[in-house]
Order: sequence, then structure tokens, then C-alpha cells
Amino acid sequence: MSTDPPTPPAVLDVAALTVSYATRRGRVSALREVGFSIQTGETLALVGESGSGKSTVALAVMGLLGPEATTHGGTMLFNGQDLRRLTPGQKQALRGDRISIVFQDPFTSLNPGLPIGLQVAEPLIFHRAMSEAAALDKAVEALAEVGLPHPRELVRAYPHQLSGGMQQRALIATALICDPALVILDEPTTALDVTVEAQILDLLDELRRRRGLSMLFITHNLGLVNRICDTVCVLYAGSVIEYGPTAQVLSAPAHPYTMGLLTSMPRLDPVHRRTRLIPIAGKFPDLTQLPTGCIFHPRCAHAEAACRENAQTMAPVAADHAVRCWKSVAINAAQETMAPLQRAAVPPRVSVQQGELLLELKGLRKIYPLSTRLTRARLGIPGTRASIPWFRLERPEVRAIDGVSLSIGSGETLGLVGESGCGKSTLGRCVVRLLEPSSGSVLFRGRDISRADRKQLRTFRGLAQIVFQNPISSLNPRKTVGAAIDRSLANFSGLAREGALARRTEILEQVGLAGNYADRFPHQLSGGERQRVGIARAIATGPKFIVCDEPVSALDVSVQATVLNLLSDLRDQLGLSYLFISHDLSVVAHIADRIAVMYAGTICEEGPTDAVLAPPYHPYTATLLSAIPSPDPTVARNVRIRPRIDGVAGKVPMRGCVYHHRCPRTLGKMCEETPPPIVQAAPGHWIACHLPLAELEAMPAVLPIRVSDGLQSPAGGHASAAVVHSGTAPE
Amino acid sequence: MAGLEADAVWTPAPPVSRRSRVPATLIWGALIVLVVLALAAAAPWIAPYPYDEMQIMARLKPPSFAHWFGTDDYGRDVLTRTLIGARLSLLMGLGATAFCLAIGVPIGLYTGYRRGRVEEIVMRAMDVLMSFPPILLGLLVLAVTTPSLWKTVLAVGVVYVPAIVRLTRSVTLELAQEEFVLAARARGDGSAYIVLREILPNAWPPIAVEGSLRITFAILLGAALSFLGMGAQPPSSDWGLMISEARAFVDRAPWIALAPGIAMCVTVIGVNLLGDGLREFLDPRMRSGKGS
Repeated sequence: MSTDPPTPPAVLDVAALTVSYATRRGRVSALREVGFSIQTGETLALVGESGSGKSTVALAVMGLLGPEATTHGGTMLFNGQDLRRLTPGQKQALRGDRISIVFQDPFTSLNPGLPIGLQVAEPLIFHRAMSEAAALDKAVEALAEVGLPHPRELVRAYPHQLSGGMQQRALIATALICDPALVILDEPTTALDVTVEAQILDLLDELRRRRGLSMLFITHNLGLVNRICDTVCVLYAGSVIEYGPTAQVLSAPAHPYTMGLLTSMPRLDPVHRRTRLIPIAGKFPDLTQLPTGCIFHPRCAHAEAACRENAQTMAPVAADHAVRCWKSVAINAAQETMAPLQRAAVPPRVSVQQGELLLELKGLRKIYPLSTRLTRARLGIPGTRASIPWFRLERPEVRAIDGVSLSIGSGETLGLVGESGCGKSTLGRCVVRLLEPSSGSVLFRGRDISRADRKQLRTFRGLAQIVFQNPISSLNPRKTVGAAIDRSLANFSGLAREGALARRTEILEQVGLAGNYADRFPHQLSGGERQRVGIARAIATGPKFIVCDEPVSALDVSVQATVLNLLSDLRDQLGLSYLFISHDLSVVAHIADRIAVMYAGTICEEGPTDAVLAPPYHPYTATLLSAIPSPDPTVARNVRIRPRIDGVAGKVPMRGCVYHHRCPRTLGKMCEETPPPIVQAAPGHWIACHLPLAELEAMPAVLPIRVSDGLQSPAGGHASAAVVHSGTAPE
Repeated sequence: MAGLEADAVWTPAPPVSRRSRVPATLIWGALIVLVVLALAAAAPWIAPYPYDEMQIMARLKPPSFAHWFGTDDYGRDVLTRTLIGARLSLLMGLGATAFCLAIGVPIGLYTGYRRGRVEEIVMRAMDVLMSFPPILLGLLVLAVTTPSLWKTVLAVGVVYVPAIVRLTRSVTLELAQEEFVLAARARGDGSAYIVLREILPNAWPPIAVEGSLRITFAILLGAALSFLGMGAQPPSSDWGLMISEARAFVDRAPWIALAPGIAMCVTVIGVNLLGDGLREFLDPRMRSGKGS
């Protein structure tokens, strides 16, 4: 990259950076010969899965690597000055002043014991020796610049009084306050909900344009890369394997790994929504024992003898676009003919029409009482606000689920989508009676299981299972894989020892694991394997219905594709019904026949997948859809529907529509006072909103509308930005 | 089973190094504890003198060939008394600890898993118990009845129940939220199975560590009670009592405290090593293969 001299000096020019960590298992090779450069005003994306070394780059540039890390070589030129040659004091002077960083988790990045203002002003006090008063004045300006309302009051607020999005804005303000030459963003939106993420991205985009910021944007999400980055640098197991302009890398990826990342992502666009995902085969390499030759060859479908023998070097494929693969051109040619074939091998699933009713929820509520407290009682004298303190006994409560009615037919998959804290996991647990609902009923094959006796409940447990999110906590660390499955078999299969052993092997093979995995302990498995064991444990009872509670959220995208494909296959082979819970609308749209959108304990929209993803839709659904960044550079999503505020931490309206305080289309008084009516937009498609149906229909389509159009020309989607579904004129 | 599509990734298990080996701490711990127990058991036969034989002429003699650890203020052989005292001290340490674990762990598991009103009542009762100074509580138990050895063991055990209950409960509370516990409930397992087979094995390591520490405390508390005349009755001895009695002569004849002190140290170290080694040995993550 450094062969042709760039005219303006790069803000950051990293070359041949090699870092390793000393661990108990030996030396972990974290980065090998990593090189990239960031020009003034440029945003570079560093993309990779967990273990790729992307955060190590950030720490190396910041000079924050721990004592177990060794830098073996390379240079990091910051405005021409090698960061590796600086003394600790000089590094400290740069940190937070010329180079600043925003970390992933705003909840732990802010000190809970200090007011926001002081934390934002701190770099000025430290680096610029400003007085506290002057620095706080600057902090108010900085908070206003990142779009926080009432910055003067916020300066005195403590972190817990802010929502996650507001906290992240405050951290961005802290990073920018000294006007740094480079900002490193390490997964800045990963801990946030998708609608909040969209707002933060809007902010970063705006700041970038206005201040000409240079940014190093670290992420695992190719959608975000497409949304905000100029250049992308793909890391795999500590090596840069592809480097080039975003649009080019995403539309014509040159490395099989990048291609694999793109084909394993579920897409919302109607063209790709239902097509089978193509995961990357194999496992992420052990970083203590790297494969010889090309590091990707054990997982590469195009590998041949030469790949195993020769280490690869970066070679240009186009202007500014380089790749670490000697077969790139040949693979690209092959891929164009292969991918459609591979996809066609498994036809997209035809949505199951709701057949026999399997599960029905009627007015389900789950209410958690909070501790009773004494509050101020209003005297009710007109014209005054007179009140007596400590006089009224208040029994506050949290309505985790507030009157949900849904149904699932046999063989059908209902996707439940919503942001964190909306009650979707609570709902999933109520459905399989791991939690007792406060009121309402759960009917399974017409029988109310919340009133089932011991024997009925036992039968139900065999028929209804659950798969959990966290691959670490979902398996008992002291039990082997086999023991976990054996217990399910012992409880429900009625098989004798020999039969149970055979069945266990069969089940393991069904989830794609060899029979000898039975002797493994969970810590010997990768995340994806653990999740497959979780699925094996669930299907071992012989269920008809499985609640999948965020089963792929903790997994890397290539592993996620494998697990999603597995779940689809099992559904077809075993005739299973799923309640598929996720915060990720793309994942839900990929697997579900019908979608229910949940917000603050209520269902705001429910209907067939294709109907929910196109107008008419609930304003919240529209917000969710437009918030999801697409990795497809040919589909520009210019429709931006954003909620009105970041959302105040933990505040949900107790009256009226639960969404009214964030809704961009609120009608005022009516939405604040009256719960919305549930309107049927089409057969089986329900929307809970006060807005007239015609107006909901007139909302702009976020995705390209017609599947057939899309199939002919995927690029045609970019026009979707301006499409306003006409036909029914608003009254 | 069919259904493995072209792209479905079927993973054969790669070899995992199974270096299943007994940790050195376990071997050393077991060795030390065994030796201490054997010496205590064989004490009457291997002790060089009768434990209550007084030699007026040989009072407060420093260690010599005849008396390896010297003699005390009555002219009794310190080594003999340490060997004989081991029996009472070990009984006190192990017996009281076993008692407090036997009572504390089930209560902790039950309250931690079941929660609710019972938990509130039990935990407040434990708070009350904890608010007494341990020595007072022990005395209270002994004062209302005539002192005897087994009552001392029980008294010391009762004093340490709250600590074990609190620890077990807090570990159980955390484990009860784990998804593998929910999964066990979802497949219809009963509370007894979940608590004993899913939770207890994972809760055991911190309890075992706490238990091995409690042995030390129990020996010391037993000694304090003996000193107050509630435990071992003279002329029989235990280590704690010997150390307490040696206090008056610590400037003139420090060796009187030396032998029981070393004995107590060695026992505690042995028990701690044993506990540590057991924890490592039982944890599959430490036993074999790679972590992730």
C-alpha cells in the first residue's frame, strides 16, 4: 500500500504490524503483518469476526495493549510520527487529545459515580489545563453538538439517568471534545438497539461530514460498513485478507472469505429474504497453531495443493483494491455461475398456511410488582399543586407482557421481533411455562397449560421445548454433551439403555455433530457447536414446538448461517413449529412464515412476513426496518424513519399507545390517552395503531416492493428511496 | 440420518488432548491429612510418655533428646500431649465442619432455589445467629446443658452454619438463573434433581474452599471453649488448650506452644491443599483439553 507516495500524508499509516499474546496454551498470534492507512476525512472499516484481531489493532494504536501482548514488528505512523517509538508519557499526551476512542459498551465506559459533564470535560482539563468551569462550558457545547437535548441539565446528570443511546452520544462527545485527528470506534453500536444504532450512525455520518473527521470504525457488521465507511479492510485470524473501497469490496468481493461473509448474512430484501444461506464451512482456526500456507485454506471451497503450501501476499485486483488470494479471479468467475446453482439446490420455502392450530395465547399478561413505596398524595384543590408527602401507598409494577394474543399453527414458524426489554424473552418463557403468567391463557392443542396438572404438564414438556441464546450458560459445564441429551431421552423417550445410546448418536448427527461429541464437555466446544448441542437437547424429547429464544444472536455471522440452516432443516424434517424470538429483523424475516412485532410488552403488528415488511405498517415496524443497514451497496436506503427521541431510560407510557412518546407519526392527545384499536389491514395482517389505514399504507416503502422486480434487477432497488405507495389517497 | 445438505457442515470431533492427571496439590494434601490422621489414631501407642505423667524435676525443660519438644510447666512431655491432643482437635475441626456443612448446605440450596417467604425467614434467622459473637453462642449452647465433648462439637458447628448458608444460597441464586437450569425445568426435571444434579456440583467448589477454612476456625473456637472450661477437661488436652496454657510461659519456655502450633499449621495446610486439589480434580475444565 505504501508503494505509491500519497499526496497528503495519511493520518494513520499502519504497516506490517505483528502482535502476539502469551497465554497458558502458548503464544496466540493476534496480528500478522497488518497494514492499512487512513487519509484525512476518511472512514476506514476494520471488519472481522471474533478472534480476527480487530480490537487488538485499536488497542495497539492507542498504546493500551496489556503486558501479555508483544509487538514483534511494524510501524504505526500517526501524522508521520511512529507511535511505537513514543515514550509512555508521549503516548498518554496523545490519547484522548489527538487520538480518541469510543468503546463498545456505553454502560461500562462511563463512571457511574461521576456526573456526565465532568466526564465529558475531563480531557480538556487534563490535556489543555483548562479550568473546570471553562471545560464544563465546552462540555455543554459538545453535548449539544452530539444531539443531546437539554445539555445544560445533562451536565449534572449521572450515567444511570441516561438511556444507552444517550450514554453513547455522551461518550462520542468526550472523544471529540479535544478535536482529535483520529477517532477509533470499537463496535460503537453493538450494545445498542437497532433503532438507537441508526440514530448514532446518523450522528456519526453528520459529524464526519461537518468536521471532516478521520475514523477507524471497527465492526463485525457489513451493513454498518456500507452505511458509513469509505474503505474497508477485512481481517481474518490476524491477517488483512482484503482491502479496498467499500462499494467495490461489497459488490464484488475478491476473497472467498469476504464472499462467504456476504452469503451467510440473511438479507431483508425480497430477492434474498428466503433464499438459503451459504455459510462458511469449518471452524475458525486455533490461533496458537495456524494452518500453513493460506490461513483460510481449511475452510475454503476452492482450496488446492498450492493454497496449502504457499503463504499468500496481498495482490491488487483493481485500483485501490487488494486481496490476499492468488486464485481470486478464477474464483470470482466460478462463483458467478455457482452461487445461483447452490441456492437453487434448495428451493426457497413456501410459507405454510396456518393449518391445524397448535398453540394459542389469549390475553397473556406478566406483571412484576415492584416494592411498595410511600409517595406524595395530591390534595386535588383546583388551581394548586398542593400535596402531602409520604402519604399515599403506591404499588408500582412492571408490565413485562401486557395482553398478548397470538397463535401458531402446526409446522408454522412465528417470528417475534422486538428490541431489548420489550418482553419477548419473558413471553417465550411463559409459553413453555418456565414462568407463570399473571393472567391470560396459553392453549396448547386446545388445552390450557397454565392450569395443567402434573401429568399433563409433563406431557407438554416433552412436546414443547426451548433453545436458549447464550451458548455458554445454556450447558452445564460439568456434564458431557451426551449426559445432557441422555437426560432428555430418559425423561421422554421410554427407550432402554441400548436404544437410548443409538438414539443419542442419531440426534447428534441430526444437528451435524459426530457421535463422539457425546464425551465432550462444553468448554471443549466452539460457540456454534454448543448451540447445536442446545438444539440436540431440545429435539431429544421429541417435541412438536420449540421456542427459539435468540438462538443465533451470540454467534458470528458465518456460524449463525449454519445454525439458521440447521433450524430450517429440522423444521422441515421433523414437522416442527417455532416461536422464533430475535432482535434482528433480518434473521426473523429469513426464517419466519409470520412475524409479530413487539414493543413494550404489546404486539403492535402481526402478519405474514411479506405483508409486515411492506406498507401498510405500524410506525414502529417502519422505524425498525429503516434502521437496519443493508450490506448491499446497490440498494441505497434513503428512507429514514427515526423515533422521536432516544428514549428515556426505562420509561414506558402507562396510558394510551405504548409507542406514542417515540412515534414519529403521533396524533397527540388520542395516542396519549386511548389504547390503539387493532385494525385488520389484510386477512391475517393486524396493526395496532390510531392512524387511519390509508395513511399507514401511504408510508414510504423502506424495502423494494415487488419480488418479481427485484429478481430481474437487484440493482433496481435504489429507486425505492423515493417510492411512495400510492393507490389509496389519504383522506 | 439423512438431511445433510451439501452445505450443511458436518463436524467430526477433532482430537482433544486428554491429559487426565491427578493434580500435585491433591496428592500432597491427601498425604499430609493421612499422616496427621494416622498419628492421631496411633497416639496412645507411639507417644513416648503417658500424657498426664508429671515430672516435677523436669518442669519447663527446653527440647532435648528425652523430650523432643520440651516439657510444660507440670513437667509433662509436649510431644506426647500434642499427639494425644490431635484426637480432640481433629474431632472438633472435622466434626464441627461436617456438622455445619450438613446443616448449612441443604438450607442454602433450598432457600436459594425456592426463594419466597421461607427464604426471608431463614435468612433473617441466620442474621440473628451471625450477630452473636461466636464464643458467646458456643457458651450459650454449652451453658444450658452439662458440657460434654459432642455438645462442644455441635456448639462450634452451629456457630458456623450461617456462613455456610449464606455462601451456598448466593451461589445457588446465581446458578438458578443459568439457562441450563431452565433447560432442565423445560425437560420436566423435578426440583430435587435440578438442585442435586445440576446446581450442587457447580456450587461445590466455593463451598469446599469455605469448608476447609472452617476446619481451622473450628479448632480455634474449640480451643477457646476449652480454655473457658467448656471443652476438653484437664488433664486431657487439645492443641488450642495447649497453646492457651502456654501463653503464660511464652517468654521463658516458648517451645510449649511450638509443637501444637506446628501441628495446627500442618493440618490446615494439608486440608487446604486437599480442598484445592479436589476442586481442580473435579472440574472438567481443568482436567483436560483446551479451553475456548
